[in-house]
Amino acid sequence: MPDSNQKLSRRDFFKASGLIAAGAMGGPALLGGLRTAQAAPKAPAWTSGFSACDMCFNKCGLIARVEDGVLTKLDPNPKFLKSRGMLCARGNAGISHVYDPDRLKHPLLRKGARGEGKWQRIPWDEALDMAAEKMAAVRRDYLPCGHLFSAGSDLQSQFVGRLAEVYGSFNITSHESLCLVSNSRAFLDTFGEVPFADVLHSKYIIMAGANRFEALVTPDSMDLMTAMREHGCKLVTLDPRYTKTAALSDEWYPIRPGTDMAFMLALAHVIIGEKLYDAQWIAEKTYGIEQLTEHVKQYTPGFAAEQCGIPAEDIARIARELAAAAPTSMVYPGRRSSDYEDSTQIRRSFAIVNGLLGNWDRPGGLLAARAVGLKGVPYDAPWYDENHEDRIDAETVPMMFEHEGSFMVTRDAVLADDPYKIRGWFIYKTNPMATAPNRKKTIEMMNKMDFITVVDIAMSDTAWFADLVLPSQSYLERTDPCSGLQGSSACACVVKRDPLIEPLYESRPLFDIVKGIAGRLDLGEYFDFTMQEFRTRQLAGLPGAEEILDRDGVYYNPSKVYGIYDGRVYKTLSKKVELYNQRYEQMGIDPLPVYTPPAKVPANQFRLVIGRNALVTQGSTANNGLLHQFVPENTLWLNPEPAERLGIADGDLVEVSSAVGRQSLKAEVTDKIRSDTVYMLTGFNSLSTMQHLAHGNGASIAEVLDGKYDTVTGNAALHQTFVTVTRKVA
Amino acid sequence: MQRKLMLLAASALVMFMTVSMAFALGDGNGRKGKFLYRKNCRTCHNGATAKDLSPADMTQAEWKATFADMSKIKCSGDWTVSEEDVNDIFTYLHDYAKDSPSPAKCS
Repeated sequence: MPDSNQKLSRRDFFKASGLIAAGAMGGPALLGGLRTAQAAPKAPAWTSGFSACDMCFNKCGLIARVEDGVLTKLDPNPKFLKSRGMLCARGNAGISHVYDPDRLKHPLLRKGARGEGKWQRIPWDEALDMAAEKMAAVRRDYLPCGHLFSAGSDLQSQFVGRLAEVYGSFNITSHESLCLVSNSRAFLDTFGEVPFADVLHSKYIIMAGANRFEALVTPDSMDLMTAMREHGCKLVTLDPRYTKTAALSDEWYPIRPGTDMAFMLALAHVIIGEKLYDAQWIAEKTYGIEQLTEHVKQYTPGFAAEQCGIPAEDIARIARELAAAAPTSMVYPGRRSSDYEDSTQIRRSFAIVNGLLGNWDRPGGLLAARAVGLKGVPYDAPWYDENHEDRIDAETVPMMFEHEGSFMVTRDAVLADDPYKIRGWFIYKTNPMATAPNRKKTIEMMNKMDFITVVDIAMSDTAWFADLVLPSQSYLERTDPCSGLQGSSACACVVKRDPLIEPLYESRPLFDIVKGIAGRLDLGEYFDFTMQEFRTRQLAGLPGAEEILDRDGVYYNPSKVYGIYDGRVYKTLSKKVELYNQRYEQMGIDPLPVYTPPAKVPANQFRLVIGRNALVTQGSTANNGLLHQFVPENTLWLNPEPAERLGIADGDLVEVSSAVGRQSLKAEVTDKIRSDTVYMLTGFNSLSTMQHLAHGNGASIAEVLDGKYDTVTGNAALHQTFVTVTRKVA
Repeated sequence: MQRKLMLLAASALVMFMTVSMAFALGDGNGRKGKFLYRKNCRTCHNGATAKDLSPADMTQAEWKATFADMSKIKCSGDWTVSEEDVNDIFTYLHDYAKDSPSPAKCS
């Protein structure tokens, strides 16, 4: 034995001394005497581990503290550049998400009518048997496409897509057609891909159709503040509401809703008319400047002023300032564009102005996606000759995204049984009952189904109308696949999740659930792997990444940020930035955005608009105990002028009524909104009584909104609903 | 002489197939093409035996040009699929090309 092992350390000495002394004293004094004698630093009574937040879609890095198997605190991961080392209030409130007393605890089978709330607890095996049997029955009676699959934004949602494909259904929808697909469409069709905004290095930003200081996007929200406070970036905001973004802007214009395109085309009019663009860049990198020049002649600042309610001289000045700061300037590409029936064309006008600024692939402008390096994990799905030819929502709109679908078009098709019948629905972590306009129609759609299986952490309204509800695990209880994230100029990175606590109740991860169902459908071979094996394949091209992920909670790929397209052609038909879109012309869609004034708000009515609050993620946080303390209910923003005319005082209970539904909530009389517009938060007044903070609280916007959609992509058009507001007599 | 005749016949066959395929290309079943691509092409195009391949690796025009003269596709001599299947595979690759309305995210 080596000498070193025979030496008695100072600590051992004292420990031994203590033992001897304690032994000499005997009895209860022993432990106390030992502790005193040690005088060593106590090991922490908690452990910590990395994860990625799931309280919205941003997936910010975090460090969770666990004491005695219980999560006690969530902190930001300081090494996580995408969020600039921060974690927002919702991220901090993740603990309430995990320990929500309303969490689903075990599989539940509906026993009464849909929505009646009568449930029977059943064992997992019985639940999976039933889900598989019902899916097999739907496939037998209605062919594989007779089953619909829907999944929200989640690292495991890809396994719902895999289940749908191996089952044989083309019908899978995501949440995105209720959010942003028209924006993605417009920028993809202009630049060849959906860009990321390099806010940090920009000198001049026009923010329209986005509320970046409340609708948080990382790193944009943080970078915008840094750009303004430290780099002198100017921010001009167009919004019918005086949002927190508006409040922090250099200039705010309460634009008339639905007229953003007129504003953008007028900017183009000035920039082109006064030749404020980089002629060489435009000639080399863009297609269609001649057609655009001709097209925007009609859209003068004077014309736009009449439409938007913004002075013509301000529009012209902003155009000049924007161009002077180019290419480190931008019209912010925004995110949620589910607003009008011509949303794609509205966002095309945003994209075209960016094209004129020459900011593509350059610092302070719009950036291409960076290389992350994760590999796909391919599989060979079977083919079913006996099936329908296409998705149920195909060919209603010309340019729907195949991998996102359109919830609105799908719903209409299901209700009409046209072109075929859908009678089964598998839903994971998305809640169309709370997010899709015209809730009554969504209920009708659910009533059409023979069987609906919902996998979620809580009894959402969609789960409330299902047949079988299966409890899933929270993001802090499970192993997830790796995910590649784009962080603009901050980073391109990879995150993963591992369990930090034991899963609560009988909850299971979605992966285990679809694996169990697939096995019962003789499709088990497509899920014959563990999550760790899946991750290993994802990371095959990034040697050492897994160790770095374990050490830092994030892996960065030092890939190129700017000039990604140097020496490469753009992914458009013309291989250039398409100011004029050739494919649109071929398909009979306006190749340049043509402005159509929005419908006038009828007398004694208001346009209802949606928006975000930094403490709310739609219906998924309305029942969060911590966040509820900050936003206990939603209210109706109403301008003082019409409020006085209608005899409504601040705090009065009002009824909001549209062509499709009515709801009641408290009025918030405020001059932070135009007099022709009203606003309320989404996610409140759930029908599910198993959401005790959200049920019967405030108003459901989904009940009131009308169900129109963008004619190019099928994206929901949520700003086209007119409502009346009346004071309710107590 | 016989060899020359065989070569001539083979060339004529390739030419005939190329021309007939050129006329037939497009409007196939892209969904089935995805299945056929995975079954027949990805066995080699898996990043190990041959280069990993995705529809988004090329533009629609490039896929058209590639399939316009299939004799230039190195492995075409080994193909065992029918003309209809080739057209379905082409439709899949073309319809999810990098400049298509829905570029493929993965194959």
